[in-house]
Amino acid sequence: MAVEPGWYLLLSAAVFCIGLFGVLVRRNALVFLMSIELMINAANINLVAFALVYGNITGQTFVLFLIALAAAEVAVGIGIILALNRNFESIDVTDAVTMRW
Amino acid sequence: MLGTHPLASSISIPIVPGIGGAEVTALFPLVTFVLILAFGRYLPFKGAFPGIVATGLGFLVALATVVEIAGGAGPRHETLHTLVAGVSGEGVTLTFGVLIDPLSALMLTIVGLISLLVHLFSLGYMNAEGEIDLPRYYAALSLFTFSMMAFVLSDNLLMSFVFFELVGLCSYLLIGFWYREPGPASAAKKAFLVTRFGDYFFLIGVVAVLGTFGTAQFASYAPGVEASFVEIATDALEHGETGEMRTFLGLGERAWITAIGLLVLGGAVGKSAQFPLHTWLPDAMEGPTPVSALIHAATMVAAGVFLIARMYGFYALSPTALAVIALVGGFTAFFAATMALVKQELKQVLAYSTISQYGYMMLALGGGGYVAAVFHLTTHAIFKALLFLGAGAVIIAMHHEENMWEMGGLKDEMRTTYLTFLAGSLALAGIFPFAGFWSKDEVLFETLVHALGGGAPVLFVAYALGLLAVILTAFYTFRMVLLTFHGDPRTDTAEDPHSITLSMKVPLVVLGVLSVVAGVLNMGVFKGFLPENALFLERWLDGATMGEQFRESSLTAEHYHHVLTHDFGAGYSSGYAGLGEGNLALVGGVVALVLALIPAAVAWRLYGGAEPDPHMMNLGRIRTVLMNNYYQDEYQVWLARGFTLPIATLANKFDQGIIDGLVDGSGGVSLFAGGRFRQIQTGVATTYAALLVLGLLILIAVFAVTGGWI
Amino acid sequence: MTEVTTLPDWTAIAPALALLGTAFVLLLADMIDPDDSNGTALTGISVTGGLVALGFALWYLLAGTGQPGASQEPTEGAIELFGDALVVDGMSLFFSVIITSVVVLVALASHEYLREHPYQAEYYSLVLLASTGMVMVTAANSFVTAFISIELVSLPSYALVASLKTNEGSVEGGLKYFLIGALSSAIFAYGIALVYVATGSLQFGAVEIAIADGVGFDSLLGLGMLMILGGIAFKIAAVPFHFWAPDAYEGAPAPISAFISSASKAAGFVLGFRVFVDVFGTATGVFDWVDAFLILSIVTMTIANFTALKQDNVKRILAYSSVAHAGYILIALAAFTGSVEGEISILGAGMAHLFVYGFMNTGAFLFIALAEYWDVGRTVEDYHGLGNRAPFACAAMTVFLFSLAGLPIGGGFFSKFYLLFATVTGGQELLGAALIINSVVSLFYYTRIVRAIWIEEPGEDLEPGEYPTGLYAAIAVAALATILLIPAFGFVIEYAEIAARMIGG
Repeated sequence: MAVEPGWYLLLSAAVFCIGLFGVLVRRNALVFLMSIELMINAANINLVAFALVYGNITGQTFVLFLIALAAAEVAVGIGIILALNRNFESIDVTDAVTMRW
Repeated sequence: MLGTHPLASSISIPIVPGIGGAEVTALFPLVTFVLILAFGRYLPFKGAFPGIVATGLGFLVALATVVEIAGGAGPRHETLHTLVAGVSGEGVTLTFGVLIDPLSALMLTIVGLISLLVHLFSLGYMNAEGEIDLPRYYAALSLFTFSMMAFVLSDNLLMSFVFFELVGLCSYLLIGFWYREPGPASAAKKAFLVTRFGDYFFLIGVVAVLGTFGTAQFASYAPGVEASFVEIATDALEHGETGEMRTFLGLGERAWITAIGLLVLGGAVGKSAQFPLHTWLPDAMEGPTPVSALIHAATMVAAGVFLIARMYGFYALSPTALAVIALVGGFTAFFAATMALVKQELKQVLAYSTISQYGYMMLALGGGGYVAAVFHLTTHAIFKALLFLGAGAVIIAMHHEENMWEMGGLKDEMRTTYLTFLAGSLALAGIFPFAGFWSKDEVLFETLVHALGGGAPVLFVAYALGLLAVILTAFYTFRMVLLTFHGDPRTDTAEDPHSITLSMKVPLVVLGVLSVVAGVLNMGVFKGFLPENALFLERWLDGATMGEQFRESSLTAEHYHHVLTHDFGAGYSSGYAGLGEGNLALVGGVVALVLALIPAAVAWRLYGGAEPDPHMMNLGRIRTVLMNNYYQDEYQVWLARGFTLPIATLANKFDQGIIDGLVDGSGGVSLFAGGRFRQIQTGVATTYAALLVLGLLILIAVFAVTGGWI
Repeated sequence: MTEVTTLPDWTAIAPALALLGTAFVLLLADMIDPDDSNGTALTGISVTGGLVALGFALWYLLAGTGQPGASQEPTEGAIELFGDALVVDGMSLFFSVIITSVVVLVALASHEYLREHPYQAEYYSLVLLASTGMVMVTAANSFVTAFISIELVSLPSYALVASLKTNEGSVEGGLKYFLIGALSSAIFAYGIALVYVATGSLQFGAVEIAIADGVGFDSLLGLGMLMILGGIAFKIAAVPFHFWAPDAYEGAPAPISAFISSASKAAGFVLGFRVFVDVFGTATGVFDWVDAFLILSIVTMTIANFTALKQDNVKRILAYSSVAHAGYILIALAAFTGSVEGEISILGAGMAHLFVYGFMNTGAFLFIALAEYWDVGRTVEDYHGLGNRAPFACAAMTVFLFSLAGLPIGGGFFSKFYLLFATVTGGQELLGAALIINSVVSLFYYTRIVRAIWIEEPGEDLEPGEYPTGLYAAIAVAALATILLIPAFGFVIEYAEIAARMIGG
């Protein structure tokens, strides 16, 4: 009994929007990263679901790559957040405003 | 291809170039100009010698040209240099070229002769008096000769304009020769500016000609010139072939031709010192007298008249333009003569006399007398130059005193000067058989005849003014002669005048002889009693000596007459008041003679005694007005200061305020916008994210709607 | 010309392989002596690697690899590798030349700049890895490869911007770059997913065919295309996806600013060209990306130029100028009419402009690197009087700045002229007008810098210590290239046109 693909679209859209909300509202850099993860995983949901619909495996392969890439991104990101913490004594992204206008 | 007489080739003079090389008349003085400018200090007589050689050679070449044309050599029309080559069918072609026909050959000779004599005279006037800066003087004289010759040789209106302006520049340089004094400097500026004002209209006229006809050529003999603008205009009115010309402002062909004629007239009015642009000529007397003789009597002021004569086929198409010219001329003749009556300085009388006589020439042109105008131009050049040179001799003799009331009794000490001056005066006054009599009568005759023939009433008015001016001319001329030369000497200098050199006497004698005999050229008064070919000038201007092609072309006096008298042209007809042509001419001559002799006698009575009184003082208020030149000078200064200057200030404010303001404003607005945009970059990362998402959402919204995703 | 022995297909991506190899060699070389780092050796290896890659790319480009042969259509001749995942054609080689040249210049300049940096080998290898990613982007023929390569470009770039770990500006710049970049790559990924949802495949050719056959979910395809546009717009720093650029360029070490503003932008544009012109070329009914790029182009040009008017920090001025140039190059997409036509097409003009831009922009930022090396301050006032101290470098900077403005002192004149020409002949007067107005405005701030370095009096005595050879060499080469591109522009446009026709057809 297959779930209709439309629901998957809705789910992934919802997850994407939640992630987007997190990016816009939260000031903690780590939470920002988490929200990005949510957004990428929303894409993953879509890909997997429609890989099934179309019957080819391209979507699932891409999902594997995306997962790995997201992890790499987080790794780099945490490194930068560490440097941020060392220089600005906080991980609030709104604290680093020496360059403006 | 040119209409050459079969004997033409045998007439050309082997050593001196003639019609084929007439441009050397202009080029010789140009070379001397450069030479004197570079080496003037080292040359003999500080540059007079090269000047004399150049003008002498130029005069000989001009004479050779005249001889060749008399022998039948055809008109020469050649394009010497193309400035701007128009693409075929589109755009005009601008060229420099030469047009040598009887009219220009005659003018070349006049300019050459007068220029040569003035150069000679200057040896005595300037060099012998120990003047400084003489290389500048002779250089300017050479430049002037070059410009004037080139002007006469011009084959198209644009080239005429260029040299018209150049001549004006030389006038400025020469009037202001003694620039260290305030008077000459100011007079030079005034001369330049007043003539420039007229030249502005001339320039618009040139552009109008180019725009209307696509060509500014006076004639069409040269290969590559399809038609002159005169011919196109004539075709349009005569045959109704209006395809070739474009009119503007919604005017018809004749009206537009009139408009162009009036525009070009602006330049002529300025250059020939007609009312209202006459105010510069009396002030120009601040320059050295030989300059006055050359430029302000015989040649430069003749340029305006020559220009109209050159284009006469065009003017003959428009009765309105002709009427305006006649009225301006007649009025100026009278108006200037009134002012000459009361002047006390010798050169001032002559200056106003020049203005008045050029009024006669304009009157002739407007009245339909092309030959008369050219004739008067020729004779006037001779006798006015003579009078000015004579005045120069007197001034030198009187140690630069110019007021006639300080002179007197010079006829005994300065016999040559006196006799030649008298000859010139008799010619000016129009006494038989001196040259002026014949030419002035021709002018009046032609005007009267065309007025009687049912022409515009304006011609009657103009004729009347011309006739009145005869009376005044005779009076002031004899007053001048009597005050200067007769009676007892009124000052010590007059008793013992400085002697003048031979170099000054020779030109006076030459011109004196000419002013006696020059009338022979066209003894129109006797035309009822002379054989057909005796009117030499008329035949000359008809191209009677030249080939058929010229005779049937549009540059002859006969063609002008044809255009003038037909309806497609000015529609003049001739009326003789029932007397017949010959008789009317004779009667007119007698009337004019009487009108000249009577005031001469009156002048003799008033000023002929040993100690004449200043009778002009009796005129009281009238005299004051005349002495102040009807306040024309003040009026023109007011026009400049009270009228033009405020407008200029307004324009300047507009330029600085609005135009500069716009430019500065756009800079200010940009910087302001930049400042505002800058504030978008707040520095907070989440703001960036928010703005990014906002942008994306807007794009989605826009394209969802337009792309039909909803 | 027929080759007697043809190399095996995989050698077509030799430039990328060379760069990748050099990165590993660098890491290995550093392992030899972990306590000490021999900066010169590292620079030497990087530069060599870059030159090798450049050599390959140039050789392939000039020899006609991946380009249509004499008897082929202008769209044929590309070499497809690995099951159509990669493609080597005229455009990829053209841009590989740009990218590898920039890498060489940046590596050369980094020699003295990094003299006290503790992690030089990592720096160089990150640069080379990023450039490998860039070259792979130019050769991407599938969304998968494209995304991976883009990430391969971005991740090292984030690290490189933040590489001056004790410098607040550097870290802050890196942070902002990272945050916005992560957001954009998430959007990009989602967009790709939506395209997959709509068409069922990720390979460019297959997607193109699927679109031509007609897709079921128009709106999803359109949304997906728009989000892909967003991701690409981030990479090329177009408004409103550009907010990271001024801060990142300002904070980063100057050679890295040069690197990301020239090469990374070029990579983004390649992807943009290939994805939109080639893949989505026929899908303008679903999502009129031409109009979207029109809006983006004009807004980018205007906001970037006007904001730059009010800046005092030289690096920031150049950052905004970079963004503005992205706007100019976007004209190539904004004026696309459906096919590449005419002797000089808009697409070709845009590519040629990227080529010239690579050199002049890199050169300008390297001059700033020189100024930073001498501890001259950051603002325009601090640059007063530099002309007396370093006339050669300042002359080169003048060439760069005026060439960026579009004056005939460098190749920038021709490329901007051809862009303008192409807009006018293509009937896009609005874009042409915007280009002209913005170029005029930009002249203000470029001239401001030039005036500061030549005409103004120096505030205090600056004694430049030594004259760093690497930086000077890099600046000299960039200046020479900029000037030589005036006569040589014909070559550039010729290859750009070949590249444009291959994708635009």
